[in-house]
Amino acid sequence: MATQLAVDSHARYFAICLRGLPHQMTSLDAARMTFVQLCLVGLAALGKLDEVCSAEEKKQMIEWIYAQQVLSDGTELSAAYCGFRGGSLFGPHDLCDYVPANSANVAGTYSALCGLLLLGDDLSRVDRPAIVDALRCLQQDSGCFAPHPSTTERDPRFIYCACAISAILDDWSGVDKDAAVKYIVSCCNPDGGMTQAPFQESHGGHLYCCVASLALMGRLDAIPDRQRTLRWALQRQNCGYQGRVNKPADSCYSFWVGAAVELLGGHDLVDAGAVSAFLVQCETRFGGIAKFPDEFPDPLHAALGIVGFTFCNPDGFPRMSPTLLLPESLVERLDIKAARRA
Amino acid sequence: MVRIVDNDEEEWLPMSEQEEWSDVVPIPQDDGRNPVCPIAYTDEYREMTDYFRAIMAAGEVSQRAFELSGRVIDANAAHYTAWVYRKKLIIDLGLDIGEELRWVSEISGRHIKNYQLWHHRGALLPLLLDPQDVGRLSQEQRVLIPAIRDELRFVGEVIDNDSKNFHAWSHRQLVVRSYGLWDQEMAYVETQINQDVRNNSAWNQRYFVLTANQSTDDFVLTEDVADREIAYAVEKIKLAPNNESPWSYVIGLLVRHAPAMLYERLLPRINELAADKDYAVAVTSTPFYWSALVDIYEERAKTLDVDERGDVEAFASEACDSLAE
Repeated sequence: MATQLAVDSHARYFAICLRGLPHQMTSLDAARMTFVQLCLVGLAALGKLDEVCSAEEKKQMIEWIYAQQVLSDGTELSAAYCGFRGGSLFGPHDLCDYVPANSANVAGTYSALCGLLLLGDDLSRVDRPAIVDALRCLQQDSGCFAPHPSTTERDPRFIYCACAISAILDDWSGVDKDAAVKYIVSCCNPDGGMTQAPFQESHGGHLYCCVASLALMGRLDAIPDRQRTLRWALQRQNCGYQGRVNKPADSCYSFWVGAAVELLGGHDLVDAGAVSAFLVQCETRFGGIAKFPDEFPDPLHAALGIVGFTFCNPDGFPRMSPTLLLPESLVERLDIKAARRA
Repeated sequence: MVRIVDNDEEEWLPMSEQEEWSDVVPIPQDDGRNPVCPIAYTDEYREMTDYFRAIMAAGEVSQRAFELSGRVIDANAAHYTAWVYRKKLIIDLGLDIGEELRWVSEISGRHIKNYQLWHHRGALLPLLLDPQDVGRLSQEQRVLIPAIRDELRFVGEVIDNDSKNFHAWSHRQLVVRSYGLWDQEMAYVETQINQDVRNNSAWNQRYFVLTANQSTDDFVLTEDVADREIAYAVEKIKLAPNNESPWSYVIGLLVRHAPAMLYERLLPRINELAADKDYAVAVTSTPFYWSALVDIYEERAKTLDVDERGDVEAFASEACDSLAE
């Protein structure tokens, strides 16, 4: 059975996605920034980013990303809306009487910063104080983060985004780390798994967000029973990784759970061959990787499946940071201290 | 409205040709000269969002804004500010919350795993029925209140279609906790586990119902309840020994709340099961059995003095060897 990735086919897939997505993906319109990031991550993980994107194309992409930045207008009212939007569908920057019409989102901000770094930008046009202020506004009393104002949504996905943003900007003044750690600990379940809020079902996606956040904050020691958490994560592997107990394996968990396993020191306990074989089964003839075998691909499963594959096959691919979805070489060069592996 | 029916065919009348919108200057999307990952929008979506951009930028409060927000959300349920705007319109216009929840139910089939949709429901429900208003009622009376009855019915239908929908189970926790509906939830959990003993979401909910209904921070696991839960888990293990859920449930419960009971109360039941000729082979060939023994012996070893640990460590070692195979 083949356990080699169809590298060129996936590189072409990401190149096509960067040029355009079909109308069936309209529901991704508010998260386009994240899909841009994922296409670039996928290419970087394959070692194909420079080959696929010319210097001119990279410059153009950088311009598009910066065009989504919501800058501070100096008022307190707008502070929480600053950062990067998830796409260009929101209100025009200069015309909104209703402030929330043109709102950034912490996921958009995180994806934008990662995207800019992958494209070689120096972040000089990023309004750092505005972003850090926004994080401060969005952290809740519980320690968790909301993605933007006026929503009841808050969960570890946004704690992770806040931590990743703070790590990249090397400015943690927008994050009360103790409060965030306390919230994450409250999400640790008796089975060792982690979830989005106390008492909810252990979930591989939230496991990643919790563990990676702790790693970035230098607080992995806060996990109540680290061995049990590692065991929970490793038990998600039968062939590929599942996201929850008794659910089918899904390619994206090769990253969410796979990266958590890396961060918890379980690399040698993974059946790398089985994970690799499952991911190859999820490859499609269009290029890209699908959630399950014999389905259509999407940039999220493609990028995360590829990164998950590289954890299991470190030779032959650039090493990817499990905390930031950036190449380790970039993390080193930029000296992103929080993301340096212990 | 948008659609006109002509000769039994539905036609889409562009908003630019509708009298109702003639006073609005739509704002085209500015995607720059070189958009990245541009989506090939339908003409209908492109136009509706051009008008929506204009309306929302002005913060218009009107019935037409409210209806347009619904169309935009149904086309793109992850439009995160459309939901914020819609919630504001509902409040500013004094619209009927029950009607809104019904609308959300109608569109939910297309967006059943969308975070914003579930949070919208969760935010509206207390506006429809203030949790403080049910305080005096018994639990049996509470489940008959239409708002609660309808909410439980909605989320029940979602779970009937997808028994492990993460948002649905999470929403149930919100509703149960807000209105104190613990008894019916335990019954619901048991029905779900009976339908599918491998439904881990239902097992997780069992832990929630058992331990989250506390006025103090710490739940105390009594021996009676522990024995009951151990018996329940063992009964379900018998149905499918290689099912991770009941093992994970009972070990997790005891490790967290009464570790001493792992050795004193769980181990005897597991040993019985492993000695029972009807179950011995199935049980001892699942890794969860051996993993449980490791947990039990590890916990036991912690309570013993160093020189007493010999036997326990030998048992644990054997269990690990079996797991490795």
